[in-house]
Amino acid sequence: MPLDTLRSNPLREGLAQRSIPDPCTLVIFGATGDLTHRKLVPALYNLAADGALPPAISVVGFARRDKSDEVFRTELEEAARKFSRQAINDDLWKNFASTICYHRSEFDNLEGYEALARRLDDMDAARGTGGNRLFYLAAGPDQFEVILENLRKSGLNKAHPGAWSRIIVEKPFGTDLPSAKRLNDLVENAFDESETFRIDHYLGKETAQNIIVLRFANALFEAMWNSRYIDHVQITASEPLGVEGRAGYYEKSGALRDMVQNHLLQLLCLTAMEPPAGLDADSIRDEKVKVLRSLRPLTGSDVFKHVVRAQYGAGSINGKRVAAYRDELNVNPESVTETYVAMELNVDNWRWAGVPFFIRVGKRLPKAGTEIAVHFKSVPPVLFRATGESIDDNVLVIRIQPDEGISLRMSAKMPGSSLRIEPVKMDFHYGTSFGKATPEAYERLLLDAMSGDATLFARRDEVEQAWKFVDAIHEAWTTRTDDLALYSSGSWGPGEADELIKRHEATWRRL
Amino acid sequence: MEAALTSNPSMEHGIPVEIGRIDKELGKLWESSDDTKTRASLINLVVYTENEAGLAADNEVLAAVAGRHPCRAILILGNPSAPSSEAKAWISAHCHLLGKDTRQICSEQITFRLDGDAANALPNIVFSHLDSDLPLCLWWKADFPEPLDEKLWSWVDRLIFDSCSWRNPHHQFSIIRHISSSGKSAAVLCDLNWTRLHAWRFALASQFDNASAFPHLTRVESLSFRCAPCCRISALLLMGWLASRLKWRLDAENEMFVSTSGQSIPFQIEEVPGPNLSLISIQCTDAQFELKLAEGSDFFESILQTPGIPEIRQILPAPRGRLEDTLLAELSRAGRHALYTESLEVILPLLPR
Repeated sequence: MPLDTLRSNPLREGLAQRSIPDPCTLVIFGATGDLTHRKLVPALYNLAADGALPPAISVVGFARRDKSDEVFRTELEEAARKFSRQAINDDLWKNFASTICYHRSEFDNLEGYEALARRLDDMDAARGTGGNRLFYLAAGPDQFEVILENLRKSGLNKAHPGAWSRIIVEKPFGTDLPSAKRLNDLVENAFDESETFRIDHYLGKETAQNIIVLRFANALFEAMWNSRYIDHVQITASEPLGVEGRAGYYEKSGALRDMVQNHLLQLLCLTAMEPPAGLDADSIRDEKVKVLRSLRPLTGSDVFKHVVRAQYGAGSINGKRVAAYRDELNVNPESVTETYVAMELNVDNWRWAGVPFFIRVGKRLPKAGTEIAVHFKSVPPVLFRATGESIDDNVLVIRIQPDEGISLRMSAKMPGSSLRIEPVKMDFHYGTSFGKATPEAYERLLLDAMSGDATLFARRDEVEQAWKFVDAIHEAWTTRTDDLALYSSGSWGPGEADELIKRHEATWRRL
Repeated sequence: MEAALTSNPSMEHGIPVEIGRIDKELGKLWESSDDTKTRASLINLVVYTENEAGLAADNEVLAAVAGRHPCRAILILGNPSAPSSEAKAWISAHCHLLGKDTRQICSEQITFRLDGDAANALPNIVFSHLDSDLPLCLWWKADFPEPLDEKLWSWVDRLIFDSCSWRNPHHQFSIIRHISSSGKSAAVLCDLNWTRLHAWRFALASQFDNASAFPHLTRVESLSFRCAPCCRISALLLMGWLASRLKWRLDAENEMFVSTSGQSIPFQIEEVPGPNLSLISIQCTDAQFELKLAEGSDFFESILQTPGIPEIRQILPAPRGRLEDTLLAELSRAGRHALYTESLEVILPLLPR
């Protein structure tokens, strides 16, 4: 077969799995941290176990602590055994671990980066990784600037001819719009937007990806996905955990910046966006940005009408007493940081005119769960009025985590001679139906970044638009603090949030 | 009844029922169970066998499959040569805990024994006991009969079989070709032998995804395979796939392929006891690609030797040997196996008659 007729690997045709990415070296900055141990290395191991990693790959941990390759590998093995989705196979781990090494350097030491560059060149020659580099910023956000600067100064940001160089940036992407712009400028100074992958791990979740399929591959739903049939949408992210040792970070961020700016607005975008022109990264991201631009801004006094912020007090979670937020370690006893936010948003476009999107997120709530609930309008109260039966509205629930799946609530007649109407639920569970474990979000996202597919990553304009919206709320909050409500740990949030949604003659869903 | 909801090691451990009352009795099965059990079904999985001695093993496979892929399972033991005609049925269920939850997901199973003329009632037995609106997967664990009952085949969405078990693969494949080309059946042909090769094909494709390895596909000089004596057909199918993908022409007489540029590519199949397939080696002009599978191992050893690049050794997932794993892999895969018949056509002249 002449070479010029082979444009793609003919052996790949018909295989369910995607092409294996090019050989590459993954450099993790902040390699001794929690993210590397709990998420990144288990994800890489699972990819290796699925045969999805390139044949030649190297993983370099870059951090400040002094340790040998061997010690680093041992630590990672312990973490992988604890956190991996699949059980660790000794032979496979040994093979995978042989690709891992440790590079010790201060983040602000340029010489450390220059030494890294030399080491990567040597590894390319020894392992056939072809000069492709994927840098992962898993260090604290306060280190991003110095790392990016030194990557640029050492020339590591520039790929060798025929190779590529990419960067993955972990959230938070800044703490407000000016800092996000500054971070984006720094990234842009070293890497092109097409080489930049901003991770929001919610987008890597199977159910989040399924929103697009559910909406655009099912005529049943898309036909009704508008203000004519939908009454309102509720997006909830609840967790029973408190700040869990992250008080230093959380005190500065709060629920609005920690969760709403990224995860919840991303879910809202996927729910509200128009059909994209294609499934490529930019077509989807273009539509998401349009949603963010269509969000009715909340400023000044409107913030206090449409947004409820609250903080958890003492209470009990799973039968155990837990302390109030202000009594947590490293939290200011007079802190006004919100651990709960509920808000009413409006997407001012043709499709969603008059349909409120209610968002709530909180810590120390009774149970963990993230879901999107689409509440359909009531049927005209004509036919069944005489029976005295109240009819519950149809609700389509997309469960993002845990127990990923979709359920639809509808009304049915109870068996018997009288006409009694009861809500019933049709339920689809990923775990039950597909019978196999869904990959962790980081597995998908790492593989996408290696393959250069940015569909599930946030683009600069998306991030900045989301900050613009959130900053306006935060700015209003700085003018007063008396609106901060309190709720007991283990409850579903403050009464003010119930009042917020009650104005729309609705109630929060019970998870 | 509770026992039937928790275990079902053989036909006799189900609840015997009159064939006309199967639906009612299945309904009772659920009425009498507690609230922690949920009936679920994604497909109708019909298994037809004529091997009574293998029935217990078939039941175990169905129980394992139901745990990962809820279904209405219909197991049919056909004994067309029995002197008297009789049809009997049993019902049972396979229940599995859902993760750490206390809830259980249950799949129903109906088991039939069709003796003598009753074996001819197979299509009716199948049609009348399907879970409606769900795909029909028919796992045919016997030689295909002739003539084919076209009504039955036209209902089948996925026809599962295992070419490894055939005594006369050439003849059986000709029936399969007839089924797929007659236009009366839209059934997806699912050869479990082909499913087992998926991991081999995936691993081989992965070796050539690499830009440095890719050009060597045009410079193949010879092929070597090592397989178990019973599984020559597996090596042939894999070879057929490779040849069809690279547009090679078979020269069966000289045991070689000819590439589009006229290059002769001799092949060799070595039969040694061990795994179904244990080695494929692709020798190119200046490179070599090998996949090895040791007995009992869950992983391939992939070895790439290309000029200017250090030898790359990698461990890749290999096919799991258990039948239920292969069946689950097949059921989890959607769509047609477009390359299967293409690969088959290439090696047809090499199949034992």
